[in-house]
Amino acid sequence: MMRLLALLFVMTTPAWATTPQQILDSLVQEARQTQSGFTASVSRGEQFYRAKQTGGKEADSCASCHTDNPKAEGRHIKTHKAIEALAPSANKQRFTDPAQVEKWFRRNCREVLGRVCTPQEKADFTAYVLSVK
Amino acid sequence: MGVNIKNLSILIAAVALAGAWVGQGQADNEVVFPMPTGPLYVKECGSCHTAYAPGLLPARSWQKMMNELDNHFGEDASLDEPDRLAILRMLTDHAADNPNANMLMRRVAASIPRGAAPQRITETQLFRFQHDEVPAHIWKRAKIGSKANCGACHTRANEGRYPEREVRIPR
Ligand code: HEC
Ligand code: HEC
Ligand code: HEC
Repeated sequence: MMRLLALLFVMTTPAWATTPQQILDSLVQEARQTQSGFTASVSRGEQFYRAKQTGGKEADSCASCHTDNPKAEGRHIKTHKAIEALAPSANKQRFTDPAQVEKWFRRNCREVLGRVCTPQEKADFTAYVLSVK
Repeated sequence: MGVNIKNLSILIAAVALAGAWVGQGQADNEVVFPMPTGPLYVKECGSCHTAYAPGLLPARSWQKMMNELDNHFGEDASLDEPDRLAILRMLTDHAADNPNANMLMRRVAASIPRGAAPQRITETQLFRFQHDEVPAHIWKRAKIGSKANCGACHTRANEGRYPEREVRIPR
């Protein structure tokens, strides 16, 4: 019954009403499918955000385009175009469209790590970016 | 009062100024490319860089580019199929060689060799000609960084607007 109610809720909630918290919750759910009992960690997320990675292309960390501060305006390392802040506390558009979030995880993880991010990495990253107030 | 050198030179200066003013006005009207309507194009093709006006390249360039989006200048710019097709359509409808192209776009189309499908606007001869007065060190400024960063200097590039009077070169 609860599940049915939840389903109804999901179906009747318009796409534009997705909140950053809902996006984080569904990333955590996804992470639990491959690691039961998983909880997202802000500090692991922060580490991931800043970590210098290998295996990618020109950019070697998420921070290289998004800067050390998720509330700050970033700059694309190749095109030099300004990138609006990633933290929802500074930019209300962020983490409100699940398809948009998935698309950029796919692209940017390939760019930085040369592979897709794991569901756990995505949940931690999002927990950190949402925690920045 | 006879015509002396001083009067004559003032007259010439005035005529030259008026001519420059009129010329500028005309150029301003012309240097605007039509942009696709709706948010899709700027959202998908204006996130990593300026949303380039489709009229800056011929349709064959866009067709090639839109078939290779998963390796787009070394980046993954791939889209789902409905968005890809919708954007391809917008690009070809507004390309430099579309049948309704304005004078400016026809000039772009005519400047590109028939067999070529250039992928970089910044490597076309017309772009080089239009920017030959911009000194090399300017392109290296932090807020510019790349010739392809049109929006850094052309303040309304995302609307397809490139008139000279809207150029602001950042420090
Ligand atoms: C090469 C530059 C670059 C790098 C490196 C980069 N990003 Fe991004 N990222 C972007 C751009 C550009 C956007 C879209 C900006 C816009 O919508 O204005 C973006 C957007 C995002 C978004 C979308 C947020 C939203 O809701 O709009 C997420 C999530 C994201 N990046 C995660 C990451 C992660 C995780 C990493 C490190 C693995 C990373 N990025 C590294 C350039 C980069
Ligand atoms: C994930 C980031 C990303 C997305 C999304 C993206 N591009 Fe690009 N694009 C790039 C990069 C990086 C370059 C190379 C820029 C440079 O060298 O300064 C580039 C270059 C270009 C150029 C050549 C610029 C020049 O030098 O004249 C064109 C044209 C272009 N992109 C069109 C598009 C179109 C059309 C779309 C939408 C379908 C798109 N791009 C989406 C990253 C992106
Ligand atoms: C360094 C800043 C800068 C960047 C970046 C830049 N431009 Fe320009 N552009 C200029 C300047 C300055 C002029 C004016 C030159 C003149 O008319 O004397 C100009 C002129 C032009 C013109 C002709 C305008 C006219 O009045 O005839 C066009 C079209 C144009 N630029 C397109 C582009 C495009 C497309 C890009 C990106 C692919 C770009 N520019 C990038 C500075 C820039």
